[in-house]
Amino acid sequence: MQQMQPVPMAPAQPAAGVAHEITHGPSFAMLRVDLAPGQTLVAEAGAMVARNQHVQMAVKLNASPSAGFFAMLKALVIAFIRKFIGGETFIVNHFSAPQQGRVWLAPAMSGHIAHRRMNGEKLILSTGAYLAHVGNLDIAMKFGGLKGILAKEGAFWLEVSGVGDLWFTSYGGIEAVDIQQPFMIDNGHIVGYEGNLNMTVKRPGGGMMGLIASGEGLVCEFTGQGRVYLQSRNLDSLVSWLSPLLP
Amino acid sequence: MQFDIQYRPAHSLCKVALAPNESVVAESGAMVGMSTNVQMQTQSGGLMSGLKRMFGGESFFRNTFTAANGPGEVLLAHSLCGDMVVLDMTAPGYFIQSSSFIASTPNVNIETKVGGFKSFFAGEGVFVLKATCQGPGQVLVGAFGGIQELVCDGSLVIDTGHLVAWDSTLTYNVGKSGSGWIASFLSGEGLVCHFQGQGRIWIQTRNPAGYGQAIGELLPPRSG
Repeated sequence: MQQMQPVPMAPAQPAAGVAHEITHGPSFAMLRVDLAPGQTLVAEAGAMVARNQHVQMAVKLNASPSAGFFAMLKALVIAFIRKFIGGETFIVNHFSAPQQGRVWLAPAMSGHIAHRRMNGEKLILSTGAYLAHVGNLDIAMKFGGLKGILAKEGAFWLEVSGVGDLWFTSYGGIEAVDIQQPFMIDNGHIVGYEGNLNMTVKRPGGGMMGLIASGEGLVCEFTGQGRVYLQSRNLDSLVSWLSPLLP
Repeated sequence: MQFDIQYRPAHSLCKVALAPNESVVAESGAMVGMSTNVQMQTQSGGLMSGLKRMFGGESFFRNTFTAANGPGEVLLAHSLCGDMVVLDMTAPGYFIQSSSFIASTPNVNIETKVGGFKSFFAGEGVFVLKATCQGPGQVLVGAFGGIQELVCDGSLVIDTGHLVAWDSTLTYNVGKSGSGWIASFLSGEGLVCHFQGQGRIWIQTRNPAGYGQAIGELLPPRSG
């Protein structure tokens, strides 16, 4: 990816972040963002519930604000690949208002919304966890390789860095775990983790029997110091419970 | 008549307390339980209005529950996980997204309105309901997810999949969300409802079709 000086999309954000409110959590959380004049809210396609009439909406490919031509091309290619393999296409909507304006957003699944003020650190999100952001955040799609597929978080991860407000979503409630010592999380329950943590996919122990009979499948082990966000429900479990019930 | 909503917001259940000889009209299939002295009558209100309702995404029949020989109780629930709200009738009345209607006091007139060709595209059925009432009355509506009341002061744009009910003082038209059709399609917002005027709008925090799509693409294909 080309390294270029980021072009500010919006005026500098106040230190406290963007005015917003998360309601109806943890099961059916909805986000309301109060945009100041000139601010731009970027949100996952399809997430809009409502907006003021004067709030303008523009469809964009989610390349970073600093993205050059090749980065845009890469984003386009990835968008097409994802269209085939499933998951979000990563087309985003930009909401902006000349005056103050409100936008309400909600994810598709039942679950919560978490807000995080990013100050230059790196956060890795599982696919589908991204909801919206305001500010100078760079959101890059990373190929997780076999690790990502084994972790059942999809082949792609999102790497978020920069300064701004980020909102992400879950299936079920969101729990933040601050890791001091190695910690294991069942695959399918990871929402995201800080970039300074190291993740490896492992068997939960108990040998072959443990893998087959424990019902835990594979787990992800995190080492280092940092925060992991996990969700209280697992989409795969819902799907495997629901599938045999269908006609 | 008293509506008491419990187990909010995820799995709400409405307890309707009926005085002797009082009735409540409910969508068929909404009844969870009732006292033994409550009598149920099924009406279609005529073949045409029954058919019209059916096309509107509701059921052909509606049930009237009447407490005979003393007070009675009826328990009502929605088919989806979510909240419910009781709307006190106003003179102008309400528009209700057809699958959100659960019950009403018997004096409320529920008309199935053809929302127009445009609302066919909106994925919310061809029909919306118009609830009107002479004098005091109540309507019970249910949602997928939480219910949020928004005040429209001038204009507001709302995704059609998130609509529950709105004051009929508002004018509305269904249209594309973005500036062009291709942009609207890519935006994933599908169609939105543009509201004009002064009034309240009740929205649901989840979109049933959106949820269905999110889960649906993970499920194995239907056999046969």
